[in-house]
Amino acid sequence: MPTILTHVPVSGGTPNRTALEALTRARQIATENGWTCAASVVAPEASGVAESLGAYGAETVYAVSDAAFEQPLNAPVVDALEQVIREAEPEIVVFPSTEGVKDVIGALAQRLGAPALPDVSAFSATASGVSATRPVMAAKFRADVEAEAPEGAPVLVSVRAGSYTAEEASGAGAPEVIDIALATDASSLKQTLREVVSAAGGGVDLSDATVVVAAGRGVRDEAGRDLVQQLADVTGAAIGASRAVVEMGLFPPEAQIGQTGKVVAPDLYFAVGISGAIQHVAGMTGSRTIVAINKDADAPIFDVATYGIVGDLHAVLPPLIEALRDAKA
Amino acid sequence: MRFAVCINQVPDVAAPSQVRDGQLVLDAGRVVLDAYAASAVEAALVLKEASGGEVDVVLVGPEKASETIRKALAMGADSGTHLVTDAELDSAAVVRLLADHLRDGGHDAVLLGKQSQDTDAGLVGGMLAEALALPYVTNAVGLAQEADTLVVTRQGDKGQEVIALPTPGLVTCSNDMNDPRIPNLKGIMASKRKPVETKAVEASGVRVKTTGYANPPSREPGKTVDGDEPAAVARELVRLLADEARAI
Repeated sequence: MPTILTHVPVSGGTPNRTALEALTRARQIATENGWTCAASVVAPEASGVAESLGAYGAETVYAVSDAAFEQPLNAPVVDALEQVIREAEPEIVVFPSTEGVKDVIGALAQRLGAPALPDVSAFSATASGVSATRPVMAAKFRADVEAEAPEGAPVLVSVRAGSYTAEEASGAGAPEVIDIALATDASSLKQTLREVVSAAGGGVDLSDATVVVAAGRGVRDEAGRDLVQQLADVTGAAIGASRAVVEMGLFPPEAQIGQTGKVVAPDLYFAVGISGAIQHVAGMTGSRTIVAINKDADAPIFDVATYGIVGDLHAVLPPLIEALRDAKA
Repeated sequence: MRFAVCINQVPDVAAPSQVRDGQLVLDAGRVVLDAYAASAVEAALVLKEASGGEVDVVLVGPEKASETIRKALAMGADSGTHLVTDAELDSAAVVRLLADHLRDGGHDAVLLGKQSQDTDAGLVGGMLAEALALPYVTNAVGLAQEADTLVVTRQGDKGQEVIALPTPGLVTCSNDMNDPRIPNLKGIMASKRKPVETKAVEASGVRVKTTGYANPPSREPGKTVDGDEPAAVARELVRLLADEARAI
């Protein structure tokens, strides 16, 4: 039976949320076409997470456990995914569009002779491969693209956060877990990780967050940053940032949202002091409800906002934080 | 160190453009050196200025893209190669052409943008590294050289990672890496005397095709919440978020 395989990256023992969204879509395609829905987990300890993917409809999970995956280096991941794909022989391999996936999908496609459609917002199986929609030109437009699978190779697809909704499958059982031992050519491990310079400490992971508070140039100092933190605390939000304030050093680079940084699609997005340059909007326009707070009434962020408040964030945020606190009480 | 920098010409994403009959129409027809590729050129020039070496640029594209090679030469690159084709290529087809050119080029490092500004696909770097059997690092935000090793700072999902990459190796560059220099008059004059090799090439095995373009789905027009009293404005927004948007 043909197979659709979804790769599920794991962080802190938890499956990536966008991967569960992608797995849900893969399960729909499997059901429509009478295919098998499979998943892969490549992690230091893959088996525990593998079991949990049955709830999302994975009938088979390929688990590659190896200490090599403790380091964020691409060579062993490409090797592991190649092994899984050669074993599973899928028609389509689906990935979440994370930085880790962006780091390996090109090399993997080349090694397998597989066409790849990265960063899609929608995709379907066709008789000869995959058709998909991709945001292009900093998400100003959408391109309809088609990939034709060559004999014996799958089509690789990576899916943007928020493109689909993760839903557990009804009546799903425990998946069959197939353990695969990593076979890595030692000579392929040519890069050496020296250090991880900064890591998102505490807080909520931006790409998994359902609420995001993002700061822009209007948040120009410590006092502004403190207000953003308070708004994030009261809403349980992860904190994002525009490129401008990352360059100012007010927020860490991993908080950057946009064409260059992360793509987020939370239920609720607060754009605080963000003007709305196309490069930023490219990374957040999939958010369900957008609140924009900016003192410039002509700022382009208001074109995409669900609700807008024209005003200085130092005046707007304190009563807003208080009103949200009251609403929660 | 000998650097090969793969560059590309893209439509200016900031220039007016529209979709007409499913096709992308670039009103001004303005094309530029891709911003990520420009960062890769700048990174190579900085290392060359610090430790010596040579910077060769290579571009796949139609005849008119030669102006983009001249731009990189005016920034300070030493030589250029233009692999000329009018064909519509996918990432794998571009990589076959680049790999054929670079395979025996004797470069210590291959640098390129992490993605292209128009397609935002980001496949070419990893594909090219695999085709050339080179270790690679993607999404670099910093690059330094220690003898025969490139020390690359990359932006990962959760933080920045510092990776020692032995050469020959390949690095894809973010536009957060540096501010690419703007060519000065001396650079522009010098670029006219620098060698550019032009080679006609043919595409093969294109499997990914763009069949049309559309505007993104438009969002419902938003509501401005206003009033004289900030506390009342805040309460009204919270009410809308709770009752109308059901977002809190």
